[in-house]
Amino acid sequence: MSKNILELTNVTKNFPGVKALDNANFKLKKGSIHALLGENGAGKSTMIKIITGVYKQDFGSLIIDDNKQSFSSPNEANKSGISVVHQERNLIRRFSVGNNLPKNNLGLINYDQVAEQSKKWLDIMELDIHPNTIVSELTVAKMQLCEIAKALSLESKILLLDEPTSSLSPQDTKNLFSLLKRLVKEQDVSIVFVSHKLEEVFEICDEVTVLRDGKNACVSENIKNLDRQKLVKLMIGRDEQIIKSKENKNINKENLLDLIKINTDLGHKEISLNLKKGEILGLYGLVGAGRTELIKCLLGLDRIISGKLVLNNEEIKIHSPKEALEKYKIGYISEDRKKEGLILMHDVLTNAGITVWSKLKKILSFLNNGIIYNKVDPYVKKLEVKTPSYKQLVSNLSGGNQQKISVAKWLAAGTDILFIDEPTVGIDIKTKAYLHELIINLSKSGTSIILITSDMPEMISLADRIITMKDFKVVGETMNNHNYDDMSASIMANIHE
Amino acid sequence: MSNLLKKDWFGLGLVIILGSILISFFKPAFISPFNLYVLMLSVSLMLVVAMSQMIIIAIGQMNLSVGAIGGLVAISFTGLMEVYDLSILSAMFIGLGIGIICGFINGYITVKTGISAFIITLATLYIFKGMNLGITEAQPFYEIPESVKYFGNAKIFGPIPFLIIIPVIITFLMWVLMNRTSLGRYMLAYGNNVQSSELMGISSTKIVVYAHIISGLLAAIGGMLVVCRLQLGTPNIGDSWLLPSFAAPVIGGAILAGGKVDVIATAFGVILVAIISQTLVIFKIDPFFVQIFLGFMILIAVFINRYREYREDRRNKVFSNE
Amino acid sequence: MKTKIPDFVKTNQFGLLLLVIVFILLFTFTTDGFSSRFNIYALSRVVAIDIMIGLAMMVVILTGGLNLSLGALGVSAAMFGGWCMESMGIPISISIVLILLFGSFLGWINGYVTVKTGVHSFIVTLATMSIYFGFMTLLTEAEAFRKLPETFTDFGSMKLFNKYISPLLLLSIFTCFVLFYLFKFTDIGRKLIAAGANPDAAELSGISVNRMFIYCHMLSGFLAAVAGIMLTSRIGAAIPSMAGHLGFDWLLPAFLAPVIGGTLLSGGKVTVFGTMLGAVLVTLINNGLYLIDVGEFWVRFFLGLILLFAVLLDRAREYFTSKNSIVS
Repeated sequence: MSKNILELTNVTKNFPGVKALDNANFKLKKGSIHALLGENGAGKSTMIKIITGVYKQDFGSLIIDDNKQSFSSPNEANKSGISVVHQERNLIRRFSVGNNLPKNNLGLINYDQVAEQSKKWLDIMELDIHPNTIVSELTVAKMQLCEIAKALSLESKILLLDEPTSSLSPQDTKNLFSLLKRLVKEQDVSIVFVSHKLEEVFEICDEVTVLRDGKNACVSENIKNLDRQKLVKLMIGRDEQIIKSKENKNINKENLLDLIKINTDLGHKEISLNLKKGEILGLYGLVGAGRTELIKCLLGLDRIISGKLVLNNEEIKIHSPKEALEKYKIGYISEDRKKEGLILMHDVLTNAGITVWSKLKKILSFLNNGIIYNKVDPYVKKLEVKTPSYKQLVSNLSGGNQQKISVAKWLAAGTDILFIDEPTVGIDIKTKAYLHELIINLSKSGTSIILITSDMPEMISLADRIITMKDFKVVGETMNNHNYDDMSASIMANIHE
Repeated sequence: MSNLLKKDWFGLGLVIILGSILISFFKPAFISPFNLYVLMLSVSLMLVVAMSQMIIIAIGQMNLSVGAIGGLVAISFTGLMEVYDLSILSAMFIGLGIGIICGFINGYITVKTGISAFIITLATLYIFKGMNLGITEAQPFYEIPESVKYFGNAKIFGPIPFLIIIPVIITFLMWVLMNRTSLGRYMLAYGNNVQSSELMGISSTKIVVYAHIISGLLAAIGGMLVVCRLQLGTPNIGDSWLLPSFAAPVIGGAILAGGKVDVIATAFGVILVAIISQTLVIFKIDPFFVQIFLGFMILIAVFINRYREYREDRRNKVFSNE
Repeated sequence: MKTKIPDFVKTNQFGLLLLVIVFILLFTFTTDGFSSRFNIYALSRVVAIDIMIGLAMMVVILTGGLNLSLGALGVSAAMFGGWCMESMGIPISISIVLILLFGSFLGWINGYVTVKTGVHSFIVTLATMSIYFGFMTLLTEAEAFRKLPETFTDFGSMKLFNKYISPLLLLSIFTCFVLFYLFKFTDIGRKLIAAGANPDAAELSGISVNRMFIYCHMLSGFLAAVAGIMLTSRIGAAIPSMAGHLGFDWLLPAFLAPVIGGTLLSGGKVTVFGTMLGAVLVTLINNGLYLIDVGEFWVRFFLGLILLFAVLLDRAREYFTSKNSIVS
């Protein structure tokens, strides 16, 4: 049996309002590819950040190569041979590839030498690009590989890959996997692989550790002892299917919102789709398929170059979210609730009422807390938001309660059409189920919803119809029959053809 | 050729050459030896000041105290020679030391507290300037050694002032720093993306502190060059540096959010500003117009930079979709 | 059972108020002349303008930006007023309206350019500072307006409350109340704060962030113009150099008051009365420094130190309050 190169023992990490990790363990065998799994909010990213020195654990120990370690910066973790390849690209786009590889002195740069050195790592990655190429000119897949090359050039022995395939095509993914396997064999690296695509885990990983609510659901389980169903059960704590019977739902056949051959400044091509009254229309696609971007164009944040937008049989133009809200009663619940959904530094009342201020104001723009409270309170109560008071800062609430508030403000605004973007990212299972029910009830009561989610089970349990997008284009449309196997197969076929 | 066109300095250089030809066509006095001499002198001084600001822009910050450091060093340099009879060399080294210390203070406080460099350098601006006024009580030092005066007035040959040697060397060294050393790369990396520079194997504390130290050092050199030029050390040296110190890098295409500066284009920016100011003087236009002009040039440059950035962004987006 | 501490005791304003009282007591007992009628009147005239300048900066800091052109703008507005009243003979009331419109217009330029270019307001207002001041000097030929209507200049030298207080101070305090009302009890005020706190979230919640930012800059221009009028009335003349070269003399008090008052530099938080107390504190310290005779040349040095100290303190407070919330 080979020894562990990385070991976390009984690690605990607290954040305000949440216990992100609770006595969690993790063991990485030398020369293996180890999957770290868990739902969003289960503690994966916290664990990664502890391993890479971004956070420090409150309790528990971190052992690397038999040495107890405690990192105070990513830099120190780097020096101990740990590198992470993030989802967000960490390359500097204005620099050349060679210049993105680290150098350890402050002296003169010899560009021939840089090119030569980086060539070595690029060759290992089988990357046929010149070190002087500017990063911003590369394709996404090549950037990803360059990031791995960068990590290797630091002489890293432990590589953490955080959702490395989320923006890669199947072919690129395949290449990446064969490369990873080779790296483990030839370069003596051990890999921690984080992904939510279970097929990939079965394809390349040796062992699996699953986190759930900050605790271990399993530690270093051999992949051969698992199957998809078992794994899902470990991750979500119950069986996968949560499909509700929605037969009785009465969808109006009238189109409420029509997109006709929309081209946008961001690169959407000929997007045509329609949303019916009271319908939940799902938009599925990989990261970078252009779904959120499409919604933002519809809200007027980026330009629609050509095509028609028709609401209630009338052609409209939306110039700003303000107009969308006030004139057309369209709202958007952002996927990024911390940056776009909420004003974290402000209190609950401000955040829940922000969409209705304009409506509530009295003469001379007068508006006090009482007026807002009367309007907002029913919705905050209905959503069972747990907060000590309306004066509580939103930053001090848990993720689930934050999300409830960013939903509540749109309920208060009384919208006809709601764009909901990844509503359950980083949210505990109970709130998640609650939000699912809420979305279904909303649509039953007549609100039309466009739902963006990358969570396939969520999509299949909620949507009435699923549009698949890829590379800023619509590539398929499927009526949802709420059968997971059927649906996931046909959606994936749309994407991968 | 198409590579040349992409460079920030190329367009500027073209504007300078064509502009100069045009101006000298209308006013031959523009290329008179005396005018060229004055032009080169003002370029010499502003080059150093612009570089001092540019390196801070590279890391995505700003340094309001550039002029205050220059002034403090200028009066220390002259005061040490006049009051304490120090030799030129030791006064000079102490002056440089003061610049380094001032820069270190700026950098260290900024990076350790995480407060924006704007407010820190605004505070130190008043602190340095206050020390300057407190020490001098607003009186200039007049007794400057002859050799310093000579250095400020001598010409190498023709209209080329002796003084220009130092700024030219500094500009060259800055080019090497930003384009041929890892430290320069780290600074740009920091300006582009604080996090990823962390992962390149150097602490951000060092990057920020080094940048501010270099900025302080250059401001100090600028202050002493002005002393050579003016032949006296007045407390108001540096008072008017703020605007041109930002104008040149911005005209040279620097992005204020950090991560993109061009040494040669900045130098061209200095030359352009100097030519315009000089031209306004030749055409006997009110000197206050120079200020208005400078203001407008900054705004125009900001617009152009913004537009180019936007286009670059769009190109990348479309590219990565395909 | 523990006695509950009232909320306002924990606030920054309360600490400031204590400090102000401590300084007043300190200077009253240690220096001659601090509590004299003359000195208090003089202080009230100075602090009135510093409050106004502080508020003018505060409303831009709210957006996470800043306004370097404040001084140049204020002086330009004042000179415009001098021209209206002296050269054109426009009645005072109409002149004042014109001045305020002019100030708001210059502020609008700042806001519009900032929003349209998307660059930081620092560089925009650096440029406009130079443009405004340049045009002002050019058009006035650096000459002052010294023959202003007497009713106008009398206001600045009027003495109220047993000759202790200038009416200028009452005007500033009134402005504070109006701004407090604006930010606390109106729709538009809330939107200004929300836009400053998180522009993305505010925009997506149906607030026109660009318009809010322009409003903030206009309000800043308006308040700077008010400060310009007040200063003109106090001096009895509109002088191009009354705020120093490029209006730079206003910059330090402009930042000191809001920063000491607890306004976050990153935007999204205003403290109107904190800014007022900040201005009072700065004026007190300034006055005290003169009275204990540190020499006028060192005053700037100390004010710079105070600014540094204030931001460091602010940082420390932020650090400890974030610690607190983790515990609770």
